[in-house]
Amino acid sequence: MNDLAVKPAYSFAPPDDLLIDPVGIGLRYPHYQDVLDSDLNIGWIEVHPENYFGGGAPRHFLSKARNKYELSLHAVGLSLGSDQAVSEAHLAQFKELIDIYKPFNVSDHASWSVSGNAHLNDLLPLPYTQESLDKLARNVERTQNYFGRAILVENPSTYLAFKGNDMHEDVFMNRLAAMTGCGILLDLNNIYVQAHNHGFDAWRYIDTIESRYVGEMHLAGHVEQYAGDHTILVDTHSRPIKGDVWDLYAHAIAKIGVVPTLIEWDNDIPDLDVLVAEADKARAIIAAQSGNKEKGRHYAAE
Amino acid sequence: MRLNEFQIAFKDLMLDHPNALNAPPSNLAEFCESGDIDLPTRLKVYRNNIVGSLTDLMVATFPLIKNLVGQEFLEGMARSFILAHPPQSGCLNLYGEGFGDFIEHFSPAASLPYLPDMARYELAMNAAYYARDCQPLLTNDLAAIAPDDLGDIVLKLRASAHLKQSRFLLTAIKAFCDNNGEGQLDLDQGGEKLMVYRPKLEVKSVILDEDEFACLSLLNDRQTLGNAVEQILIQYPAFDFQAFLQKHLALGTFQAFE
Repeated sequence: MNDLAVKPAYSFAPPDDLLIDPVGIGLRYPHYQDVLDSDLNIGWIEVHPENYFGGGAPRHFLSKARNKYELSLHAVGLSLGSDQAVSEAHLAQFKELIDIYKPFNVSDHASWSVSGNAHLNDLLPLPYTQESLDKLARNVERTQNYFGRAILVENPSTYLAFKGNDMHEDVFMNRLAAMTGCGILLDLNNIYVQAHNHGFDAWRYIDTIESRYVGEMHLAGHVEQYAGDHTILVDTHSRPIKGDVWDLYAHAIAKIGVVPTLIEWDNDIPDLDVLVAEADKARAIIAAQSGNKEKGRHYAAE
Repeated sequence: MRLNEFQIAFKDLMLDHPNALNAPPSNLAEFCESGDIDLPTRLKVYRNNIVGSLTDLMVATFPLIKNLVGQEFLEGMARSFILAHPPQSGCLNLYGEGFGDFIEHFSPAASLPYLPDMARYELAMNAAYYARDCQPLLTNDLAAIAPDDLGDIVLKLRASAHLKQSRFLLTAIKAFCDNNGEGQLDLDQGGEKLMVYRPKLEVKSVILDEDEFACLSLLNDRQTLGNAVEQILIQYPAFDFQAFLQKHLALGTFQAFE
């Protein structure tokens, strides 16, 4: 597949009616009732669509939460990077939720989980080769054709790198967006974790990413594990966002502009107040960067 | 290494015995960069993510089993189950199907004969929680049918309804667990028959009589109402059809008829 020879069928663009508040939080099971009972200072919520497939009691909560907040559907199960085609059954269930809940963004990851019949329930690493790029692009296109809209694809956290890589991940992400018309969901924590684990410059990664592709940013916490004399960072979504990652976020919005930004917390989930305080912190960084008005693409500075 | 070859080798290694990570196959080892941190350490992060997240999921799906055998024992059973039966879908809501059968052949649990049925009971409750909503069939809906045609209809059970039977008192064991093990539990009191379903948001268990269970089972197998009642009356001459129908219309057992 030639990168730019064919114009993609879909092209990611930020929504016309802008969100008033760009900062959202992940809605997880322990917070269902709190989110419904209180008026939170957040712009939007994010959920994993897989948790709402098929119907059932969880949808009652999601429907009520959706009445209060804008929604982003962030998938973890499409396995876009598998050698095999993305599952039609998964697409059908996902599409049902898109039709019902009308999310402003729909996303998954530049990773794989499925080989044969096994779904390994983790975001597994891809070698950054032309073959991986072509296969990932084909699955992104299948997904976009099925949904009738562009999706966002997130850069993953990885703990393994490959000798045969043809390109660096930042270039891989840019090319994917150019080939398919998808947007990039830029996870700052994932970049930070990988920069540590693989020894590259996280700031340069952000400078390489083409701003016009970026449609959402994610922030989360990680943990440090010891491995002999070295440490490996693991993206656990179980801790507050680290100072270095906040710095990276400030750099990213200065360079790229303000896009919807998510506070993610999936394990050892704290009280809702803690997530809302992290959202406030993100908003403060956006406000501090708002001198840079011409770069604030998606949101007018307050 | 082609993408397909890499993904198969990686998947096989993740589902292999934990010690296999210390000596990954040479084609995979040669394909991966290791640097300052050795390859087994890097692979173990993935292994822990995969098996750890699925183990957590199973602990959440089987709170009664956890109460009965303790978290550590459940986690051990779950890890063995996960490696033998990894998920086949990116939607994990129903993951754990087959755990009852698995426990039946899991020798460390052999002294707990009620455990497989408790797992099946918890799976039924889990499935009911995630089952699609549907409108219950009401008395008025049936009133629209001419009395002569009533025998020809097929009553469809709610999407969330599951019929379960066991030689143990599953609801009594559940109550014992919910009560944190306080009170007496006699495991030799005989079995019971149940319907697990979700009438609104909460999953409920309804204890059924023998004839009632038999009749619902026939309806669930898509027998016409006439056929089902005829067969039940042969086996259970005292079966009170009117009372049965009234009870289950009130419970909201059925969703529609054809």
